[in-house]
Amino acid sequence: MSDAPSTIAPEFAGFFAALQERALAFPCCDTCARFHWYPMKACPHCRSSVISWRRIAGTGSLYSWTTVRHAFDPAWRDRLPYIVALVEFPDAPGVRLIANVAADPESLAIGMAVTPCFDDGVAIGKSGVTFVPAGNA
Amino acid sequence: MTKQAFIVGVGETPPTRRSSKDIRALAIDAIDAALADAGLPPTAIDGIVTDGLIMPNTVPHEYVTAQYGMDKRRFDGSISYGGTGIVCAPMIAKAAIDAGLAETVLCYFGVDWGTRASGPYGFHDLYPAKLAFEKPVGFNGQPSYFALWARRYMHEFGATEEDLAAIAIAQRSNALRNPRSQVKKPLDLEAYRASRMISDPLRAADCCVISDGVCAFIVTTGERARDLRQKPVKIMGCGFGTEPVSGDDIFTQRADLLRIPGAAAAAQQALRQADLTLGDVDFAEIYDCFTISCLMQIESMGFCGPGEAGPFVRERGTTVDGRLPINTHGGLLSYSYLLGAEHVIEAVRQLRGEAGAAQVADAQVGLVSGLSVPDYGVLLLGRPT
Repeated sequence: MSDAPSTIAPEFAGFFAALQERALAFPCCDTCARFHWYPMKACPHCRSSVISWRRIAGTGSLYSWTTVRHAFDPAWRDRLPYIVALVEFPDAPGVRLIANVAADPESLAIGMAVTPCFDDGVAIGKSGVTFVPAGNA
Repeated sequence: MTKQAFIVGVGETPPTRRSSKDIRALAIDAIDAALADAGLPPTAIDGIVTDGLIMPNTVPHEYVTAQYGMDKRRFDGSISYGGTGIVCAPMIAKAAIDAGLAETVLCYFGVDWGTRASGPYGFHDLYPAKLAFEKPVGFNGQPSYFALWARRYMHEFGATEEDLAAIAIAQRSNALRNPRSQVKKPLDLEAYRASRMISDPLRAADCCVISDGVCAFIVTTGERARDLRQKPVKIMGCGFGTEPVSGDDIFTQRADLLRIPGAAAAAQQALRQADLTLGDVDFAEIYDCFTISCLMQIESMGFCGPGEAGPFVRERGTTVDGRLPINTHGGLLSYSYLLGAEHVIEAVRQLRGEAGAAQVADAQVGLVSGLSVPDYGVLLLGRPT
């Protein structure tokens, strides 16, 4: 797939636009004020099609994580092992973001606070955002 | 009045990681075997049912029809995809028979993920949000998806690696009774702990094998079944359940990641049709793509409560001579990984009393389940009378 992630579907664009400005944003319904993720064509809670991208503060907590030790795609072989986590945000209830975490796996715990880092220097993948334990930012 | 429908012939290709044959040749082998098992000519087939996503792209119904010159085919159906599709195929076959749309229906399913370059991992590329948001961070293999569930499960319920190991060890013991199974090496707790970590907490021993192969079976009426070669295995009930969540969201976004609502719904539907309870089930072939998902399905179908599956497996005993044998051929973890098509074949063999050293004593009712997130299928089969 040669398409850039930001162009796979029009309703995805807001996430990548926010990343360009070193921020996280998620779709939130103007009608019922509830977040949803992944992006849908209409709000899955109330069916409204009036959806805005709402920026969040960024700090979240670990819902779960895994240390990947096998390259399912050979392109990832030289980055093993790496951490993939599911991050929840207090100001975006209902959203869980899949993201890399740059940390010692032994230091992680469910519920632990993590903050986004937009520097290419800590990036593991190509998503534009990598999380680090809060306090290490 | 609803007619009864029976599975009268089964066929499978030998479990293997890589076959020298392509997927269509494997399908022909499996269908040949199922027809021979039933004692039916190909031209007796007047309907075909498969899953609705994988077979249409690899072994389409029209290809099989042409290959065999099935000139009486007047019914075509499909349901869900993958494992749920093949476990629920008897539901569609029986409905077609009930409605007079067909009399003898061929069902088949298989994959060539052992030889295909992307293996099972390419499958999820069909989900746009996974492509856009997950692939770029290296969240690109099923073991990682289920690893997130496993860690959360261990956190919420205090489950341990012994709980995961219990199901892997029991099924390996079952596989060792079966000369066809893909994995032949014994597994105990020590060997489990030495198994390579793939995406922690999941080890290689927690993950299904990868296989090339196809299974096929034939469904027909009671009248027709009477004259055929094998004792007919009765379709007692077949349920489908799901939840309103897309394939993009299923692994990460559901409010409760640790319950599978489709499994509860499908089990209840099948049991209601069969007028049975879970207590009547003598053995179960459960969709064990990973140890963690097998534990969660045992809970979601109602065999035990949330977080109780590890102790349930250890205390009830799920080996062939246990009180509830589970995955009597070794399952997807140790026998082969044709997404549960082999589970249907194994259940039929058990009920016909053909399972050899892995035979469950006095097996009368077998449960088969298939998970194709978010869809779920439960099939209840009964011993020939």
